[in-house]
Amino acid sequence: MNRASKSLLCAAAGLSLLSAAGCAAGEEADTAAPAGPTSESPAQSPAQSPAVSDASGAAGSGSAASGKYTDGEYSGTGSYIPPSGTSEDVDVKLTLEGNVVTELEVETSGKNLQSKQYQREFTSNIQKQVVGKNIDELDVDKVAGSSLTSQGFNRALDAIRSVAAS
Amino acid sequence: MHSLGFEAIGTQWTLSTAEPLDAPTQAAVAELVEGYDRTYSRFRSDSTVARMAEGAGSFELPASAAPLLELFDTLHRLTRGAVNPLVGRSLEVLGYDAGYSFRASGAPSPAADWTDTVSWSAGRSVVEVRTTAPVTLDIGAAGKGQLVDLVSAVLESAGHREYVVDAGSDLRHAGGTALRVALEYPYDAARAVGVLSVRNRSLCASAVNRRQWGDGLHHVLDARTGAPVQAVAATWTLAADTRTADGLATALFFAEPRELAAEFEFDYVRMFTDGRADYSPAMAGVLFT
Repeated sequence: MNRASKSLLCAAAGLSLLSAAGCAAGEEADTAAPAGPTSESPAQSPAQSPAVSDASGAAGSGSAASGKYTDGEYSGTGSYIPPSGTSEDVDVKLTLEGNVVTELEVETSGKNLQSKQYQREFTSNIQKQVVGKNIDELDVDKVAGSSLTSQGFNRALDAIRSVAAS
Repeated sequence: MHSLGFEAIGTQWTLSTAEPLDAPTQAAVAELVEGYDRTYSRFRSDSTVARMAEGAGSFELPASAAPLLELFDTLHRLTRGAVNPLVGRSLEVLGYDAGYSFRASGAPSPAADWTDTVSWSAGRSVVEVRTTAPVTLDIGAAGKGQLVDLVSAVLESAGHREYVVDAGSDLRHAGGTALRVALEYPYDAARAVGVLSVRNRSLCASAVNRRQWGDGLHHVLDARTGAPVQAVAATWTLAADTRTADGLATALFFAEPRELAAEFEFDYVRMFTDGRADYSPAMAGVLFT
């Protein structure tokens, strides 16, 4: 896997500021290229490329977006072998400005239906059916989404982030 | 409403009650939660689950394990093996282990077969679980929901009729005034995709955006492959009890709603990673479209 394909996998994590920043940190920190679970060599060292998309900052992840990441255009082709066994190619271009993904283009080879389903995640935030509204503007008692994580989980992630970003 | 907050089983709890909780009730809740953790935590070495990982054998679980294991049996069948409490081992392989190493020790690894490896029988006061191999049990798909129900039962027996038990994203509401809950946008926790009212029901949510520790690595795994799911980003379910709502919120990552509706009564919203959503008829109008 080259570094551009890592950008691709981070894009899959949700295109939030922090996941993109974590991706860039991973690129700077290592060139050994850990791969996502849909790729040929699953996740050899996820710790070196933490794509934490906790945009709320509740997990103490603010330090990950400290501006270490170089603006610019990242592009390349990633490939992976889905359960069908036929290699799939994914071409990605993304532009990073001030730790934010400002542009994204994704093209997939989509050789079989199963892969097309998995590849849809790469185009996340492009085909939006549901529009998010600012929670502060809603009169609600609670928010229900992903479960908050334990202190142990968060402390361990913080430690990993600090190593990956240095 | 009076409010009591604490951290337990890896999440933040808030008990909101119309009447304040007296000391004995608080102590009963604390004892219940501690006992549940001591039984099921795969993050502590003195738990029953830790002993199950050491070797095959026979293990005693509390009587409350019976409805939990029954639910897992059903979800395992309806999802054709994708939901399987033995997925704990698969999580460990990907680095979500007791030491929080977050380092994968190998390729995604399928969970051991649930029906071949584990059998259980419910007695009057205990449930006996027999295993044919060392296993890492992970009841995460429904355990937190069950604990919400058990805590609710403590409040009920102390006479409380208006309350909210909130354990992270699994909650139970009782009382006359509905609770308004925002559904968190999976990719931006500052935004919501909709608002729903919960009254005398349980609401559970599951999403893959927070517990991530690497590229595409999160805690919702397909037990058949041991790999994180990719197509579904978040689910919300409403059911009569929290255990069921919790289990269905996980099962919706793997099964079609109509397959689950054959055996469960529930409402749901499901959001895919491409931004699409589907929902039960009662949830029409809840989402911002």
